[in-house]
Amino acid sequence: MNHKQQSNDGKHDDDSALSDFLASLMDYTPSIPDELVEHCLAKSGFQCPDVRLIRLVAVASQKFVAEVASDSLQHCKARQAAGAKDKRDKQPKDKRLILTMDDLSKSLREVGHFESIDFVYGVNVKQQEYFADNPSTGMDPASRDE
Amino acid sequence: MKDGGLENKNELENSKKQSKPYKFYRKSDNFALAIAKVAVAQVCESVGFQSFQHSALETLSDVTARYICTLGKTSNFNANLAGRLESNVFDIIQGLEELESGLGFVGASDVNRCLAHSGVVKDIVHFVGDAADVPFAYDVSRFPVVKERKGMGSFWEKGEEPHGEHIPCWLPAFPDPETYAAQSTARNETMSVSNGVKTGLVRIERKIERPLLNFQQQFARNGNEGGSSPVGGDSGKAREASNSNPYLAAPLHFGEKDVDVSPVILPTKLSNEVASRDPVPENRFVGNQVSVLETFAPAIEAIKSGICEYGSGKKNVLCSQRPTVRFKIGIGKKSLNTTPNFISKNKDLEKIENDNQKDERKRSRIF
Repeated sequence: MNHKQQSNDGKHDDDSALSDFLASLMDYTPSIPDELVEHCLAKSGFQCPDVRLIRLVAVASQKFVAEVASDSLQHCKARQAAGAKDKRDKQPKDKRLILTMDDLSKSLREVGHFESIDFVYGVNVKQQEYFADNPSTGMDPASRDE
Repeated sequence: MKDGGLENKNELENSKKQSKPYKFYRKSDNFALAIAKVAVAQVCESVGFQSFQHSALETLSDVTARYICTLGKTSNFNANLAGRLESNVFDIIQGLEELESGLGFVGASDVNRCLAHSGVVKDIVHFVGDAADVPFAYDVSRFPVVKERKGMGSFWEKGEEPHGEHIPCWLPAFPDPETYAAQSTARNETMSVSNGVKTGLVRIERKIERPLLNFQQQFARNGNEGGSSPVGGDSGKAREASNSNPYLAAPLHFGEKDVDVSPVILPTKLSNEVASRDPVPENRFVGNQVSVLETFAPAIEAIKSGICEYGSGKKNVLCSQRPTVRFKIGIGKKSLNTTPNFISKNKDLEKIENDNQKDERKRSRIF
């Protein structure tokens, strides 16, 4: 019913674009293996004999992971840039890029649409940096004497 | 909890093989989670990360697995809503739109949009065009692997005729006759001892208990090997089974091992009788079968001398000996106490008990 206004050629192009894309998916090998995707989909009740749809789901989830990872990368780089500006006595920040829980939780919260993240452990909770056994641990000796 | 970080993907994979499994709440999914970790690590590496924290990697792989599951669930729901069992591409696209609706995608506000050229699909097309083709690092076979389990076989499959017209041929066949026919030598032994209805009860119960043990043995073996096998000549296998499975091992005879079974002090008369009982050597060819006979032999003697009634005599005998661990498969007398979670007050005897034993203990306490 939506296509009544469109010309038949236009509709044909859209459909063929989708089917062409699905066909091209078979050439592209996603990083997430088909077996894992099939297992997870089977667990949730998804039934389809078509392999192209499995590939579509694999590509979609790879895109999701790439989005989250790139967001975390930006957070990580921003943190390194901020650290370098401070000019501390200690060693400069690591040049290596490490995926940390802090960055990951920030980017997952931003991505936000995924409702089950709410009860994923530790993602929405502020991470404790360390636990000390008494309040004066780690303080300067001068202040501790006081 | 900052890890040192790992240099490259190979190091990460090696450490993953050596590290202990983390305590996730989805313990049954360890294999899928491990594969997801490798896949996510590959994607992150292609994005630009050089190393990961363990916890971050696990979290992200778990979120990815959930994403796929949610997508599958939504697509299945959409398909069912349309009256179909199998999902098609439009169900998936709708599911993707639902997931992306938090952030928004091109054309989300368009009420009359067509799914075929949805903004979500265009994003994916762009992604596929831009992203490098990084195939998965390992060869993964289909999982979970379904184990072919050879069943017991129906009458029709075995080529046997059912015993009566009321039994259809597609039902599983009866077990081999050896499992439920009583041994002839043991039966002669009991005939000489028995007199009266009470010993008849003992005989019937022994008749039920021993073939049950045979059947359990056979069942345990069938579970491992598949296919039925006669019990008679398999003493070697029984010993082998008993070596691996402690529950099938021959129970200890009286006096063989000092075990603190219970602090219950036996009446002196009964303990003397039990001590003077000699084990019968000729019945000893398979440990499990003989043990049942020997377990009840003192009870028979106790009944013969008329000390106490059938139930409590058995109870005292059991206190002096280490009780046989038995698994009931639904055959046996119904006890008065029908609660399945009956916790024995005698906490020292924390073994799997017969309903009869619980019942008799309760009765003896009442008396």
